Amino acid sequence: MNKPLNPSDLARPSECLCHIEPGELPPLPPPYEDFNQTAIPPLKPDKIKNIEASLDDTVAIGIPKPANKQEEEELVRRFLAGLQKLFEKNNNWTFLQPLMLSMEHCAKCQTCSDACPIYEMSGKKDIHRPMFRAEVLRRIYNKYLKPGGKITAKFTGDIDLNWTTIARLAELSYRCTLCRRCATVCPIGVDNGLINHEIRKLFSQEMGIAPKEIHDKGTVQHLRVGSTTGMTPAAAKDSMEFIQEEMEEITGSKVEVPWDVEGADILLLHNAGEMLAWPENVGAFAIIFQAAGLSWTLSSEAAGYDAVNYGLWYDDVQFSRVAVRHADIARRLKVKKIVVGECGHAHKALTVIADRLLTGDLNIPRESAMVTLEEIVLKGKIKLNPSRNNFPVTLHDPCNIVRAMGIVEPQRRILRKIAPKFREMTPHGVMNYCCGGGSGFAIMSGYNFAEWRNLVSSRKKFLQILEAFKDEPREVPKYVCAPCSNCKGAIRDIIGYYSAEERSRLYYGGLVELIVNAMADMKKPMIRFGDEPSWTS
Amino acid sequence: MGFYILSYLCIAVFALATLYRIYRQMTMPVHVRWEIYPVQHETSAKVAYGGSYMEEIDWWEKKQEKSLLGELLYMVPEILFIRGLWKENRGLWWVSFPFHFGLYMMIATVILLLGHAGFTLWGSTVFSAGSTLRTLLDGFIAVMGWGGLILGNIGSLGLLYRRWTDAELRNYSSPVDYFNLLFILLFFLSALVSCLSGDPFLEGAKAYVMGLLTGGHPLNAHVPGRSISGIVAIVSASLLVAYIPLTHMSHMFMKYFLYHNVKWDDAPNRRGGGIEAAVRKNLNLRPTWGAKHVGADGQKTWLDIASSAPTEEKK
Ligand code: SF4
Ligand code: SF4
Repeated sequence: MNKPLNPSDLARPSECLCHIEPGELPPLPPPYEDFNQTAIPPLKPDKIKNIEASLDDTVAIGIPKPANKQEEEELVRRFLAGLQKLFEKNNNWTFLQPLMLSMEHCAKCQTCSDACPIYEMSGKKDIHRPMFRAEVLRRIYNKYLKPGGKITAKFTGDIDLNWTTIARLAELSYRCTLCRRCATVCPIGVDNGLINHEIRKLFSQEMGIAPKEIHDKGTVQHLRVGSTTGMTPAAAKDSMEFIQEEMEEITGSKVEVPWDVEGADILLLHNAGEMLAWPENVGAFAIIFQAAGLSWTLSSEAAGYDAVNYGLWYDDVQFSRVAVRHADIARRLKVKKIVVGECGHAHKALTVIADRLLTGDLNIPRESAMVTLEEIVLKGKIKLNPSRNNFPVTLHDPCNIVRAMGIVEPQRRILRKIAPKFREMTPHGVMNYCCGGGSGFAIMSGYNFAEWRNLVSSRKKFLQILEAFKDEPREVPKYVCAPCSNCKGAIRDIIGYYSAEERSRLYYGGLVELIVNAMADMKKPMIRFGDEPSWTS
Repeated sequence: MGFYILSYLCIAVFALATLYRIYRQMTMPVHVRWEIYPVQHETSAKVAYGGSYMEEIDWWEKKQEKSLLGELLYMVPEILFIRGLWKENRGLWWVSFPFHFGLYMMIATVILLLGHAGFTLWGSTVFSAGSTLRTLLDGFIAVMGWGGLILGNIGSLGLLYRRWTDAELRNYSSPVDYFNLLFILLFFLSALVSCLSGDPFLEGAKAYVMGLLTGGHPLNAHVPGRSISGIVAIVSASLLVAYIPLTHMSHMFMKYFLYHNVKWDDAPNRRGGGIEAAVRKNLNLRPTWGAKHVGADGQKTWLDIASSAPTEEKK
């Protein structure tokens, strides 16, 4: 049942503030109706007895409950101290202006709600309205940090502040993928995605609260070991050797992988997850760059072979450290530009957000691989045989590349050239829907979070993919092109969760795989549909 | 004279609050980029699908084609006609548009009234009774005033009705949201009643504005004591003028900053440029964030902290 929830309800005692009943989620079309009654598997009581788990049916962070009243008061005090810092220039110059503008001007018109895929796909649960968490923060700020706030709160919107409010708010900040679709439609220009980003920052930068996949195993490990995958420089080189061999089977000739070439034109930065989960993506880049005769290199320095920057999602300090590392590696290699591979958040992190952080010789030009690849494919630098990609292809737009960077057409111009059966999703481009794995969700799977993601946050994308291929017979293999590691991870999980390979013959992969698959002088296809090669010679 | 003093005070509050809001925006530290596409100052070909200069190979070697006109061409109809709402939330637009447009028409009416008073004070024959200019201005004032009052009444009643009856809106509305709408409705309604009760050409308003310009000089000043509705209209209008910039309703003009300074702020940081200088200044700020991993002590700067990795990023 959809019992309306008000922002002040976040403080209300309840075992589960927002529960989704089976059948409440928007229906899936055939042959997936059997999922329509699927519920998010209940959290195991022994696993959650000591953590905050009363927001909804899942847990993203797992914040330990305070042991006593004193500890609770201390946590509330630290939360308020952090909230204050969000509005201070020395602490938050990075986002002060956007945050204040968004905090002060919302008209509560709810236009943003319908734009949010999580709100829609949760069965329109109030807590998933984009402005819900923003309004919670606004009310706390107005009441507890503004002079006379306790009195004005009666008129402007009240909320109680206790540990439950705070811990639920922390959890709630991990029910939004920061896709910023809501910000696109707000008539005033308010950005609830941004406010959510700031909430996450407050928790991380002041209270040290963040999902372990993003912080401990993410940025901390990245800076310590060299990659969020845990891969050391030696391991990265090893895996590239293995990938090289695999690629040579496809090309039938030697594939060079240049490492640490000083003075190369391009430093290519990959999401290191590709090397482990989708080695063919990394290999395909090597094949294309070699065939096009580019001067390029990879870096084997710690962090230099992993383009990710999880700090983008939750922590400006960690963000800055990773970005500076990346730039410094490029500086010392004396490359002309950095090209960011198929990783959406790495695109936005290094190209856009870090732009106003990197100064002097750290400010090395940065370019999207979509653009570099377009130059190669459309200027005829490689020989192509597009008929090899004679299967239905649709394109997923990673929010960070498209909505946040305006890189929309290069990848499309490539696809129009190499994929004769390319079709768009609806909507697409800057109005696309997130894959559901954005802002760290794709790598978060503690408790039952992965199920929540597949059932709720990725549901809209799944519906869009099915819609794009609805006129194709079931037995025809279909390719979802997702030029982003995180999105690929989320799409892989949807396909697996809904058995969509078996039921609809859905496959997925990146853009470079499609390009190599259409290269005229390849000996073997790069893309396979299960055991079936995508073309035979 | 009391009414005039109230009006002057309210205008002063309006000016101070608006200037303060704008000043605050102008003096904010340069923030990191957070643009969202489509960015309306891009070339029209790119605006059509939301593309950016970053779609170009080696974009940093090219001159960025930027058209402020493009921004304005988007912004003006956005502010005047609330195009965003028309596109995304049509149901609400039907009440929100008359409400906002009614307010804009009232602002335009005040500007026309000021013009009227100015010409009258000038005393030239071109503005003598029966002159074309005067007849035209009288006509404009009547049309603008009546139009604004009718739309404003429909809009504020409609918005109140929607906020009250639509559970989606009601659930998130606080007393102040109703108060704001009632306040604005009070002005629209009283002004409409005032015009309906024998003042179709807004003569009372003309006289009052004239009085405002002449410091309430008894020869020119209009004392709105003849009707309760006239008093309410003048008092509520004055208070509204002071109140709007103190609240979120300032979005009517602050929207410019939300769009121009955030959504569309895609200016790249070029070596040796103004943005770089501002960023360097920011990097010298000293954060005090409390989490251990940050390592802030109130002494270390952002630069120290961002470079606190083992490599020699520090410059
Ligand atoms: S954020 Fe914008 S769209 Fe959403 S409720 Fe506020 S004003 Fe309306
Ligand atoms: S950023 Fe995306 S997921 Fe988050 S509230 Fe906005 S639309 Fe929803």
